[in-house]
Amino acid sequence: MTVLRRLRRAGGWFAATWLVALVGLAVTAPWLPFVRAADEKVRVGGKLQSRYRLGPGRHALFGVDNSGFDIFARCIHYARNSLLVGVSATVIGLLVGGALGVAAGYFRGWVDRIVSVVIDCILSIPALVLAIVLVSRLDDIRQELPGLGWVTRRWQVVAALSLLAVAPLARIVRAQTLALREREFVLAARSLGATSRRVIATEILPNLVPTMVTVASTGLGLLIAAEGTLAFLGVGLGESWGYLIEANRRRLDKAWWATVFPCLMLFVTVMAFNLLGDRLSRRFDVREVIT
Amino acid sequence: MAGTGTAHLRDADDIVLRVEGLVVEFPVGRTGLTVQAVSGISLDVRRGETLGLVGESGCGKSTTGKLLMQLLRPTAGSVRFDGVELTTLSGEALRRARTRMQMIFQDPISSLNPRRTVRDVVLEPLRIWKRGTAAEQSAKVDALLAEVGIDPARAAESRAHQFSGGQCQRISIARSLVLDPTLLICDEPVSALDVSVQAQVINLLEDLKAAHGLTLLFIAHDLAVVKNISDRVAVMYLGKLCEVGDCATLYRAPAHPYTRLLLDSIPIPDPAAPDVPVTADGEPPSPVLPPSGCRFHPRCPAATELCATTEPTMRPVGDDQFVACHHPLVAGLT
Amino acid sequence: MTRPRPLQTAGRPAEGPLIELTDVRTHFATERGLVRAVDGVTLTIQRGRAVGLVGESGSGKTVLSRSIMGLLPRRGVVRSGSIRFEGTELIDAPRSTLRSLWGREMAMVFQDPMTSLNPLMRVGEQIAEPLRIHLGQSRAEARDTTIRLLTEVRIPSPAERLRQYPYELSGGMRQRVMIAIALACGPTALLADEPTTALDVTVQAQILALLSEERRERNMTLVLVTHDLGVVARHTDEVAVMYGGKVVERAPTAALFRRTRMPYTEALMRSIPTVDDPPHTRLAAIPGRPPDLVEPPPGCRFAARCAYARERCHAEEPSLVASSDDPDHHYACWYPVGTVEPVALRPADPAAVG
Repeated sequence: MTVLRRLRRAGGWFAATWLVALVGLAVTAPWLPFVRAADEKVRVGGKLQSRYRLGPGRHALFGVDNSGFDIFARCIHYARNSLLVGVSATVIGLLVGGALGVAAGYFRGWVDRIVSVVIDCILSIPALVLAIVLVSRLDDIRQELPGLGWVTRRWQVVAALSLLAVAPLARIVRAQTLALREREFVLAARSLGATSRRVIATEILPNLVPTMVTVASTGLGLLIAAEGTLAFLGVGLGESWGYLIEANRRRLDKAWWATVFPCLMLFVTVMAFNLLGDRLSRRFDVREVIT
Repeated sequence: MAGTGTAHLRDADDIVLRVEGLVVEFPVGRTGLTVQAVSGISLDVRRGETLGLVGESGCGKSTTGKLLMQLLRPTAGSVRFDGVELTTLSGEALRRARTRMQMIFQDPISSLNPRRTVRDVVLEPLRIWKRGTAAEQSAKVDALLAEVGIDPARAAESRAHQFSGGQCQRISIARSLVLDPTLLICDEPVSALDVSVQAQVINLLEDLKAAHGLTLLFIAHDLAVVKNISDRVAVMYLGKLCEVGDCATLYRAPAHPYTRLLLDSIPIPDPAAPDVPVTADGEPPSPVLPPSGCRFHPRCPAATELCATTEPTMRPVGDDQFVACHHPLVAGLT
Repeated sequence: MTRPRPLQTAGRPAEGPLIELTDVRTHFATERGLVRAVDGVTLTIQRGRAVGLVGESGSGKTVLSRSIMGLLPRRGVVRSGSIRFEGTELIDAPRSTLRSLWGREMAMVFQDPMTSLNPLMRVGEQIAEPLRIHLGQSRAEARDTTIRLLTEVRIPSPAERLRQYPYELSGGMRQRVMIAIALACGPTALLADEPTTALDVTVQAQILALLSEERRERNMTLVLVTHDLGVVARHTDEVAVMYGGKVVERAPTAALFRRTRMPYTEALMRSIPTVDDPPHTRLAAIPGRPPDLVEPPPGCRFAARCAYARERCHAEEPSLVASSDDPDHHYACWYPVGTVEPVALRPADPAAVG
């Protein structure tokens, strides 16, 4: 029991350290002396190291790719896009999904019926197909309609991914709200004359936050992986981990590092978010029983 | 009942709460059927009186409490509280009207928001209605907490899970009194507590009733607890009333066979007490398909043909005792 | 309804000790420290008797009954003392020993019949399972026995009930099914942990009557764990009252109610409202609340709430001793009821209310 708890605590610390370091590196990368620019080719003694000439080592931590770009530098620079897209989509998912879920769970009736049908529809379409269709359609719409120039590929991916995040979050929040609204402290607040808005703000939301944070941190990892998948399939951002994996995977036999390191970055980051979610869920677990 | 009827309703000036023909229906899954959890209840409570509402699980007594508070809206019937009809009110008017009526629930810990300090929980009603200055609010809350036996300083820094069940119930009671209500609806307030703590909370309720001039509706399944605290008692079975009457009379001479059964079933803490044969077997049937006629007839030792076909209505069987039964356990009446 | 004779009861010694507990301690490791849930219980349960184990929540009654059954998890539980069942030591017995006893020698009925039954399994299969495992009955034999058992616990039309799922049954019917399962292999001892607490009062009376009847007919030992003194009064031969992890009074049921010696038992009896008292009778509530089992107070664990407590009670712990006038009546108290005048308790510390 204690071993397990210690492992869990260690996992939490590892996750936090990894994420802080990653964000720190990604943000400060342009000013860091040991990180090359994303489009700077590696030269050793003035000689261009293209065609996967360099493996992981002193000159390039994670080796180089076909054009001679530094895989480590790209992993760090591209982390920005991967994280930004994941975080934006999660925040939108939390806000929209949370609002829909609370409304459906608290007011029930026709609100609930509409929200539930929409959620079921979204969830019944394979997520990846939906995202691909959405991104390509948004591309077309952007070209047809004026004034949508700012909807770059990045925001298209964010839009597609947040749609994926909204549905499960709304569903979980709805279920929690349904249970909470029957709890005695909510009934008590209602009988004391609290308005619906007040009941939701002071009684329901604070009790939803732990679930939402936990689900969101787990979901964040999934969304980053999903962005990788989109990039891998060629509809994502050109500058993300998924893109690196896609661009180099055909040479896995000759230059494993160019694929494996971006994969590792993705894997460890997703795992870190999951560990963090696990830790947070325990942290927020207010005991409601007397010991 | 178990029948309907309003013969037991009183015609007095000091009636605080008058309920007539209360019905609520819930859909049963997606079958298109409905179940009447409460099926034509009429009650009244006088100012300063404690009305005990007693019955087994599933009889609709807790639902009745929620219907009175309008936490559930009745399908039919009327609830007049302090001269105001609550069933037709909504929104702001309803919120305002029901502050004078408060409720305490069975689960003491679930009654308090786990994420707020208990002092905040007790303060909340005053904040909702913006009553008094911050200092006045504090003073009132601290006084009430002290009155129910909770240290205000500890309440300011602790949350519900740091208190025992009995203490949580005291805190719930303090919260329900903050707005100076007239009527307190207590829904099984002591059934989740240990016997020694149960006695403390019952005594506390009696003290507070006297000190604050409260009227109580006390809902419980424990007949001994109900007898201890009530002036008048109403017995429910499967969504209907069986018997209503003065507490002492009803326990001394129950007129409805179901009341008799309930009383005979209480385990007596005395090994030397004579054996009382249990007069009925079985359990309450599902309210989805309630029995015809008197709802108690399938379990009733005195049931006749009439009971299966015709629903009895409330009628007097003595001074302030009313029964809905074709064959009440009273000499001279059949 | 005609009830068949119960199965396999022959060939058992009729008297003598069945369960012997010596200084049983069950402590739980928690973040706050070691919770001394059961803290030194010595008790002998005779064959064929009905014994009530009475206490409030946190008294250790449920933990004690589960310790006897060996149902507590291995990890995080510190146990010591001796639990002997028909002479077999159970305290550190391997799982296989316990498994060979469960069902055939001792069985348990729990408080909540809904959560104790498997919701996805038909009632008939749940009763037949122990019959086939422990008694090696064939499918057809097990079916016959199952119907017999259901008839015995007074379930109407048992053959049809076999095919039903627990959710299709009422609470009382579910508890009858639980009892049928517990009785299936003809156990020597039946431990019932709050068997009627989740049930309505009219059903409670029926279930208690059924348990008593089964015990008599099968010459079975019944341990009735409950918080309700009313339940033990009519259905047990002797009673052990627990408080703060210890047995504080033990006596034949009639003697316990006739001449209560331990102030806690007396206070418990007096705090229960009865239907014989007129309305608004002031209840004699016990002030304060049960002791913290992580750091139990020195001396008598009830002293802080006791109306008879003297200096000595707060310092020295009384042990369970036999009464001078009744060797069967044991109590753990320096100043038993009737020997000293009650004193007014210190004004209750507001933080100490229950």
